[in-house]
Amino acid sequence: MAIQVSGITKQFGHYRALDQVDLEVRSGELLALLGPSGSGKTTLLRIMAGLESADSGSLQLHGEEALGLSPRERQVGFVFQHYALFRHMTVFENVAFGLKVRPRAQRFGRSEIKRRVMELLELVQLAHFADRYPAQLSGGQRQRVALARALAIEPKVLLLDEPFGALDAKVRKELRRWLRKLHDDIHITSVFVTHDQEEALELADRVVVMSQGRIEQVGSPADVYDHPASAFVYEFLGQVNRFDCTVADGVARVANGALAIPTENGVQGEAIAYVRPHDLGLSPSAGGPGRVSGIHVVGPDARVEVDLAGLTLEAEMDRERLSFLGLRPGDRCAVHIDRARVFPRR
Amino acid sequence: MLAKTSGQRPALDDRSWVRGFLILSALGFLLLFLVLPLVAVFVEALHRGVDAYWDALVEPDALSAIQLTLIVAAIAVPLNLVFGVAASWCISKFDFRGKGLLITLIDLPFSVSPVISGIIYVLLFGLHGVLGPFLKSQGVQIIFAVPGLVLATIFVTFPFVARELIPLMQEQGTEEEEAALVLGASGWQTFWRVTLPNIKWGLLYGVLLCNARAMGEFGAVSVVSGHIRGETNTMPLHVEILYNEYNFVAAFSVASVLAMLALVTLVAKTVLEWRFGAELAATRH
Amino acid sequence: MVAASSTDGAALPSQGRAVLSVLKKPSVIPGFGLTMGFTLAYLGLIVLLPLAALAVKAAGLGWAGFWNAVLTPRVLAAFQISFGLSLLAAAINAVFGFIVAWVLVRYRFPGAKIVDALVDLPFALPTAVAGIALSALYAPNGWVGKLLMDWFGLKVAFTPLGIAIALTFIGLPFVVRTVQPILQDLPPEEEEAAASLGATRWQSFRRVVFPSLFPALLTGFALAFARGVGEYGSVIFIAGNMPGVSEIVPLLIVIKLEQYDYAGAAAVATLMLAASFALLLLLNLLQAWMRSRHAR
Repeated sequence: MAIQVSGITKQFGHYRALDQVDLEVRSGELLALLGPSGSGKTTLLRIMAGLESADSGSLQLHGEEALGLSPRERQVGFVFQHYALFRHMTVFENVAFGLKVRPRAQRFGRSEIKRRVMELLELVQLAHFADRYPAQLSGGQRQRVALARALAIEPKVLLLDEPFGALDAKVRKELRRWLRKLHDDIHITSVFVTHDQEEALELADRVVVMSQGRIEQVGSPADVYDHPASAFVYEFLGQVNRFDCTVADGVARVANGALAIPTENGVQGEAIAYVRPHDLGLSPSAGGPGRVSGIHVVGPDARVEVDLAGLTLEAEMDRERLSFLGLRPGDRCAVHIDRARVFPRR
Repeated sequence: MLAKTSGQRPALDDRSWVRGFLILSALGFLLLFLVLPLVAVFVEALHRGVDAYWDALVEPDALSAIQLTLIVAAIAVPLNLVFGVAASWCISKFDFRGKGLLITLIDLPFSVSPVISGIIYVLLFGLHGVLGPFLKSQGVQIIFAVPGLVLATIFVTFPFVARELIPLMQEQGTEEEEAALVLGASGWQTFWRVTLPNIKWGLLYGVLLCNARAMGEFGAVSVVSGHIRGETNTMPLHVEILYNEYNFVAAFSVASVLAMLALVTLVAKTVLEWRFGAELAATRH
Repeated sequence: MVAASSTDGAALPSQGRAVLSVLKKPSVIPGFGLTMGFTLAYLGLIVLLPLAALAVKAAGLGWAGFWNAVLTPRVLAAFQISFGLSLLAAAINAVFGFIVAWVLVRYRFPGAKIVDALVDLPFALPTAVAGIALSALYAPNGWVGKLLMDWFGLKVAFTPLGIAIALTFIGLPFVVRTVQPILQDLPPEEEEAAASLGATRWQSFRRVVFPSLFPALLTGFALAFARGVGEYGSVIFIAGNMPGVSEIVPLLIVIKLEQYDYAGAAAVATLMLAASFALLLLLNLLQAWMRSRHAR
């Protein structure tokens, strides 16, 4: 186990940022901490790095209790959302910093430092920018410098706080793929914080979904997407249709029975049903209960809005399917549900 | 107990002995160089009792110095106020060549020694100055008279208002004025109803500093004044004369009035910064 | 030629407007002619014309006459005293002003806001008041002067040391007020990055924080220095004003003026003015150079 978090609690004034959090990070995995802002994910990451103190609980890094250690004693690589590069140092000096501040006895010689730094700059494909200042680099380049700088101290774990948060969409996607590939090459235990579910699902080996200072679910990306453990996870991951319903005899009835959803998990009474847009099937039907109220084509996909007994549903399908169905705004249609989850109402 | 760190960031914490040492150094330095001199003014002024203090303030020469100081400030400050607004209007609302040079020239008086600020008027208007003979033939006296005091005071307080307003108005841009003009406002209406409300705190801030300097200026007015008691002595000059006559109680009594002016200025300035800090942010360099 | 929209300089003939448009970008906002005209006239009359008079007077001496007036032992000594002691005072302010700025930004302690407000006292307190207060305080029978005399046998008032004290007072806000905002805006993440890369607190200060603050510190130092060189009111009471020992340049100018040596006064004033402009120019160049290297 690379990192073992047990019972960590952190309070800011009256606000409980983390509430009895337990988490294991496995050696060599790439773990995502996913949640909306204020869920405590960044606080947890900063506590792992020693940049924030915990009120109670314990934190073990490779089997050693680390809460009492200062950041510099933890040997943790930390990558900041806004890079936090040293502005007055060149790219080379930034990456070399961690090696130059070592105690004299453990410090490498000048040529060894140079060799290591250049090796890292090769790794992040910035060797030719070694003499530039951070101000002369693009956002994506700066973040790669920050990564090289964090890796220079040969950290036991790498922590990344919203590493792509400050980048524009295109660069973000490129850098994401690149980081995944880098991780597959060097296999360093890594934890990154994100509020972007797509990023977490695409990049991580496992995803930790957090909300209001607690962990809602831990699992592989497919796991958390296909089998959300709570209503929060269902809503947070991807688009979703949400209905109030009443469950009786294993059937959830929506809008006075206009829609019936079979359930399996034994929920009874007042409940909330969730259906993903792509799990909502439509078929043209002159006497159907639904009416198409709008169609939005986004690239290869189509989103179809349907009025059903006063509810507005959203279905998603590819454009081919839409033209096969021949649905137009105003058409009546039948609605069937391929897959749904029902959670009791809190 | 003495010092808590400002944030929740352990990586930025200094050791408690470092904190203690730095805080004590800072406070000790400020005590020695700021607080003690200020306290000394009031102690020296009052150490012969309140009567002696009061007598020093109401004696005719002192009253005339106070009056003259008020007159000089009452002329210099409004003139620099108008200039400051005009200069910042043309600098911040328009793009033209030589703007950088103009800003530098406006700032110029700040980098000139007060003594030089006075001497240039003596060299221009004095008896042996460039325009001296002409002025004498016209019966106009500027140097060793009130006009000279006013001119020197205007010079040393020249940039105060403009330098507060220029960054403020530059940051605010021209969009609101353009909107007002499109809505049919005249130039004056735009200025009074749109621009002025946006800059009023910065303007007040500048006027405050300008006034403090105008009433307290010593070097420049000392050169042009001629030190004629009851005629061309402002309060700071009166302090000097009393001090040089070893009339310390009277000197410090008049000085204490100026010190109170400074304290009032500081309090007003601080209140402005606390309440309108965000609006004034552009002017803090 | 565009039809006359009566925005700027309503009465300008069309030819004049064409010239103007080369110098100024067109704008719908009115009042350019009025405000620019007033600004230039006021600036010219109050600042430029009198400064020109100084130049004219100094030039009247001729090249040789100018240097004769300036290169006397007394003038040179005054320059040495003014610049040397201003340098000393600016250095003291660089050290303590930095500490004051650090303490005000980084630590919380009772009365911090009052201390913060008090830092501007030297800007607000009339220099003559500061002068007599400091000389009363540091005179051999004053509160501080007596202690220094009894403990160290040190005479402060009426010696060059007294000048340094007054110049330190006068320059105090400059370093604090230039360093403080930069320190305030320094991203804490840089120090956190340094800590997580293994730097000690001192290494993080010396290699990360201090280099970021250095340009501001240098600016504050130069401003305090420039102010000190020209300072008059707060110095003359505490200085003793002995020619060659504790006589500053501004005082020497006043003395020459009182002796009706207008040309001599103008010459010394011109040299001092040139020196402070050269200093400011140097400072601006230095800042521009540093900005070009590390601009965000």
